[in-house]
Amino acid sequence: MMNPLPITDADVNAYVDGQLAPSRAPAIEEALARDPALAARVADLRRQNATLHDAFDPWLEEPLPDRLIVAAAGAAPAGRRAAPKWLGITTAAAASLIVGIALGWFGRDFNLQREGTPTTFARQVALTHVLYASDVNRPVEIWAAEEKRLVNWLSKRLGFAVRAPDLNSLGFALVGGRLVAGNEMPTAMFVYENADKQRMTLQVRKHAHIGETAFRYAVEDGVGVYYWIEDNCGYALSGNLDRTQLLAIGRVVYGQLASLEAAASK
Amino acid sequence: MPVTDPPLPQPDLLAAIPRLRRYARVLTGDSNRADDLVQEALARAWEKRRLWAAGSDLRAWLFTVMHNVFVNQRALARHEKLHVSLDAEGEGHEAWQIPVRAMQYTRVELIELTEHVGRLPVDQREVLLLAVVEELRYEEIAAVLGIPVGTVMSRLSRAREKLRNAFAEPGAGSSLKVVK
Repeated sequence: MMNPLPITDADVNAYVDGQLAPSRAPAIEEALARDPALAARVADLRRQNATLHDAFDPWLEEPLPDRLIVAAAGAAPAGRRAAPKWLGITTAAAASLIVGIALGWFGRDFNLQREGTPTTFARQVALTHVLYASDVNRPVEIWAAEEKRLVNWLSKRLGFAVRAPDLNSLGFALVGGRLVAGNEMPTAMFVYENADKQRMTLQVRKHAHIGETAFRYAVEDGVGVYYWIEDNCGYALSGNLDRTQLLAIGRVVYGQLASLEAAASK
Repeated sequence: MPVTDPPLPQPDLLAAIPRLRRYARVLTGDSNRADDLVQEALARAWEKRRLWAAGSDLRAWLFTVMHNVFVNQRALARHEKLHVSLDAEGEGHEAWQIPVRAMQYTRVELIELTEHVGRLPVDQREVLLLAVVEELRYEEIAAVLGIPVGTVMSRLSRAREKLRNAFAEPGAGSSLKVVK
């Protein structure tokens, strides 16, 4: 019997995409049966296809903006080239106020970046806290069930090891967290909640070194922020808690992170 | 006279919008610019509606129109240096996050995957999306992008291998393993 034509990348692609010419099917089936590496590659690509669908299919369910419905009707509104910018800002502002996850993830970048006023670390922390965590009904992006993955992922994105302190002894359980973009530095955010449904966040990011460790307390827009900067990292706790509570929690967090740090460097 | 051109079928057009938006978002990396692109593409589609052969796949044709608008906008943007290049291998894809109800994969995996997709060069990204997520036939993709089928295949292979390698990294949170 003649050797069949070798299996090409094109065959593999067509096979996993269901576009293989029927005449090629026997050759690839036979190759899969005798070549475990090829079989593994096909399995990987099938899984990749399924994951891509899982990642991108939910986007199809988002509500359509009016301007696209208008455009689909064939109307060309006057000044349609100028409209997007104005619409964009409005949408961003509305979405972050009304919690729209769908558009919100872009909207928030807009808000935090283009506030107009120079934003300090404490102010950004407070804004971010209000945006993502002050509403207890707001879901976090990644739940605590995936804590390990969350921490690894955030560490990778921030470029240094990030840790989520255990605050159960203070009555605060980790709810989850997320990466916050749009400030000048990517920021890791952990959300905690107590039995009274009060939410508190710990935000961590790189920060210019300022010499000795400094602890500060600020109130921004009614949100208390307790923060410190150490070894090129900025840490900030915020929540609608009074100053004494925040300071007490801050001490625990600082102590835990310091001992974890010490343990890690051993 | 343009007035005599038959209108595009309204229900099909509306039904195609979510897919156009998704593709546009994957191309541009942010939702506002994506909607700008879709809006522009819809306007072009109406202007050029006589070029659509009635009865043929409207969705594939709309992708073609949008692809051309995108290419023109990018040329313009490069010219005016309005936007940061999306082709850069580095960061700048913070918009690659997903409004997901996670299914069989964890959220972190999905987020990582979309980030990796966002880091692909745009010509690989568009082929990957059209083939895998839109499930267009390779010949249709070639027509949408105005490239030979062989180029579609090679870009698709490169995109897939990059994603596969990215996910095979230790600690990438995947059960995938490097084969060979």
